[in-house]
Amino acid sequence: MFWKKKDKEKEQEKEQGSEKTGFKKAAKGVLYGMASHGHVMSALRTRMYLEHLFMFITLGDMLGIPVLPPYYSLRILPYAVPNIKSWKMRVFRERDFTDAIF
Amino acid sequence: MKGLGEFFDRRRDVEIVIFAGKGGLGKTTSSSSLAYYMATVKNKKTLLFSTDPQASLSDIFERDFFGKGVTEIIPNLYVVEIDADRRVAEYQNEVKQKIKDMYGLDEVPAEIEEYIDSTSAEPAMYESATYDAMAELVAQKNFDIYIFDMPPFGHGVRMVAMADILSKWIEKITEAREKVVEYDEVAATLKGGGQASEDMVMKELLDIRNKIKNFTDLITDRKRTAFFMVLIPESMAIVDTERALKMFNDLGIEMSGLVVNQIYPVELLQNPNLSEFLRNRILMQQQYLKVIKEKFGDYIVAAVPMFTREPKGLEMIKIASEDLIHSKIKF
Repeated sequence: MFWKKKDKEKEQEKEQGSEKTGFKKAAKGVLYGMASHGHVMSALRTRMYLEHLFMFITLGDMLGIPVLPPYYSLRILPYAVPNIKSWKMRVFRERDFTDAIF
Repeated sequence: MKGLGEFFDRRRDVEIVIFAGKGGLGKTTSSSSLAYYMATVKNKKTLLFSTDPQASLSDIFERDFFGKGVTEIIPNLYVVEIDADRRVAEYQNEVKQKIKDMYGLDEVPAEIEEYIDSTSAEPAMYESATYDAMAELVAQKNFDIYIFDMPPFGHGVRMVAMADILSKWIEKITEAREKVVEYDEVAATLKGGGQASEDMVMKELLDIRNKIKNFTDLITDRKRTAFFMVLIPESMAIVDTERALKMFNDLGIEMSGLVVNQIYPVELLQNPNLSEFLRNRILMQQQYLKVIKEKFGDYIVAAVPMFTREPKGLEMIKIASEDLIHSKIKF
């Protein structure tokens, strides 16, 4: 039937299209990996350091380092909840000379 | 020295009046008297605010306002006495509830709850809560004039100093947060042009900063804010006032004037039957009044007598108000 034929054509076009997008996506991924991935990771790592430093300034009390004044720290606390565990682990973990290398 | 009436006739733009000084010298009486005058004579919608944990306004007006929010006593005169303990507890519960709502939790994680509860032990917590309450009330702009009766600790000036420290602290952490957001944006752009998600922490910080800044700007604005100190003719009060004046100058705040309180009537000295006790006290006061005049001169705006009975209740506040506003004693 006519409408069935049309649907088939559409599906074929779609497949061809998705192949094209898939190829584009892969090419973009390779390019991203070659050119930007390192920079993105480095930016995210710096962001993590700054985030931890920020948490240290605002919620230092949680580690036993009093920081003035807790009244306003408490307003920021709800947003920091998901990061508290990783932040504490990072601050309290043992360090050795390999930290300087890796 | 023509009394506070003349001062406020000259300075019509004043919106905030702060009374500071040592404990027991008459700050609450002076602030209540001025509030009474503003409400009844000047017909200004007046808010009298006490940050004193000892509930002095409740005592002077013989009604319990402590922790009960803004209460109207007579037309145009409203009083609020902050219960800082309760405010802190409510604030902590709000934070806990926000965490539960944000992450769909039934309970706040034990470690975080412990931290929130432990903040009650921090003395700055109560000062911040009081300061926050003051800033909030002023920001609402519901009144023509706000009169603050400061607690005696550190001349009440500490409150202003704290605002300055808070303001700087918030500035610094906002800077730190801006850097975090910057790196977030860099990563998002490098990844493929997407926008970094909105930083809620930054929003909160800016909100806190604006709140503190607006209030600090207002209380350090010489046109809109007046600071008064209350003292009595005794050496300790004089020394304390000198120290406070220096503190005011260091903070860049202009002292608007001094109220000399609890002056015994000098005419009593004419009475040959005056007891030796009273004679000595009056002579001592006269000596210190000379010192006050020498040291503070133009700062003195009003001299208020010692009343025959405790200035409590509206009737006595009205009498005290007339003495404060018109300053009948000359020295």
